[in-house]
Amino acid sequence: MWGDRVRAVLPGVAVLALLLAGLEWAVQAGLIRRVLLPPPSVIGATLWDLLASGAFVDPLLATLQLVFAGFAIGSLIGVLLGTAMGWWPAAFRLFEPLVELVRPVPKSALVPPLMLFLGIGFTMKVTSVALVVIFPVLLNTLQGVRGVDRVMLDAARTHGWGSAHTLRHLVLPAALPFVLAGMRISLGLALVLAVLAEMLAGEGGLGFLILDMQRSFLIRQMYAWLVILAVLGLVLNGIVAALERRALHWQNRNP
Amino acid sequence: MRAPTSGTWLVLGLLALWEASARFGWVDSPNWPPVTEVLRALWQDSVTGELPARVGGSLYRMAAGLLAGGAAGVAVGLAFALVPLTARLFGLVVEAVRPIPIPAVIPPLVLFLGLDDPMKITVVALTVFFPVLTNTMQGVRAVEAEALAMGRTFGIGPWRRAACIVLPSCLPYTLAGLRVALGLALVVTVVAEMIAGEQGVGSYLVLMQFAGRAPEMYATVLLLAGLGYALNRGFVALEHRAIHWWFAMGR
Repeated sequence: MWGDRVRAVLPGVAVLALLLAGLEWAVQAGLIRRVLLPPPSVIGATLWDLLASGAFVDPLLATLQLVFAGFAIGSLIGVLLGTAMGWWPAAFRLFEPLVELVRPVPKSALVPPLMLFLGIGFTMKVTSVALVVIFPVLLNTLQGVRGVDRVMLDAARTHGWGSAHTLRHLVLPAALPFVLAGMRISLGLALVLAVLAEMLAGEGGLGFLILDMQRSFLIRQMYAWLVILAVLGLVLNGIVAALERRALHWQNRNP
Repeated sequence: MRAPTSGTWLVLGLLALWEASARFGWVDSPNWPPVTEVLRALWQDSVTGELPARVGGSLYRMAAGLLAGGAAGVAVGLAFALVPLTARLFGLVVEAVRPIPIPAVIPPLVLFLGLDDPMKITVVALTVFFPVLTNTMQGVRAVEAEALAMGRTFGIGPWRRAACIVLPSCLPYTLAGLRVALGLALVVTVVAEMIAGEQGVGSYLVLMQFAGRAPEMYATVLLLAGLGYALNRGFVALEHRAIHWWFAMGR
């Protein structure tokens, strides 16, 4: 099985390696100016220095903390509000116009107003991230809760299940695939907003560093931090995909 | 006209609270202008032509990026799905670029393309590329094998099969990808304008923030929300016209 997998990715790896080698050659031969793109080997060495010296830890943790705090707060609000709106028609009528009004606001455009109120610190950044996370989670939760099989709900009532019991043991498990799908979309957005907020607020974190390195013409460092950020994106995506598989192992409709 | 529900009252109540809190100084801050002030700023900046010119510029960059990224996404998606070898060769390169959060590609692109249109259009195109690529590939996989086999039986060549069978049946998927991409494209255009250069709505937003002109800043946010909403609505209408047969099949 491993042999098959290796064989499947081998051509891709070869092309990627060739591309890097080609870039290396083009830069060394002077076809691409070094100030724009240092040779990949030089970027690799800079990256290695960052990793070996442990200098990458603090900015990475700053960004991670921001993403996870915002993601947790936003997801919690999204799930709570989405469940309430899906379960109680009164809650739906109360909040639906507000949600529809705020949803189309580009959350990235809210960063400047938030900076006026909350300054450029952690609170502002977490709020921006949480805001972008809320809506996909909320809408998916709502859809999931509303999509619960009516027959199952009737069965629960027949068995004398109370509202809380039904929510906990029937509605939430049934809505879970939707909730998790919303969370996966949100996690990608959370990273985007975190990087943007860091760039605009200019106070540490990977996003700030990348922009700062470019403005200081520390181009090798800029690319090295960019690689670290890309790996972070890849790892976050992998984590949610794995979680989704684990949480939904009982649901093999889409393997 | 529907009767106003509790939700409508909630929205109106919040707006009234906003207005009152700013008017009567419950929230005493220069960053908290009354709603009416914001609307007036929106009206004024529209009349002077400042905002329409900036919106026009932003929309142009967005459209150009959407077109370029969409075309690239469809082309690569078709190639990956129809010729598996290309996916095996270049799939990894695409997957290596995908996880980079889009604001982070702006600094390196500034080095190559400068601060103006080419850089911003490229950023938008890059954003649009991925959802269109993914959906197009999904669409090609959903093409019915019988339809293709029938085409082959009737002696239709591979190019015509691609144009007359594959393309129409993956169109709904591609359009769905484009609809997602459209929302992202507007956001990313604004983000790129916020981070680099002095063009467009995004730059105006940051400019007003630095100038401490809160009404203009909120007016810009409001305008962007309206724009995003209108674009989405417009696209959905177009989509229904373009692939009415798809919706007619009850999907």
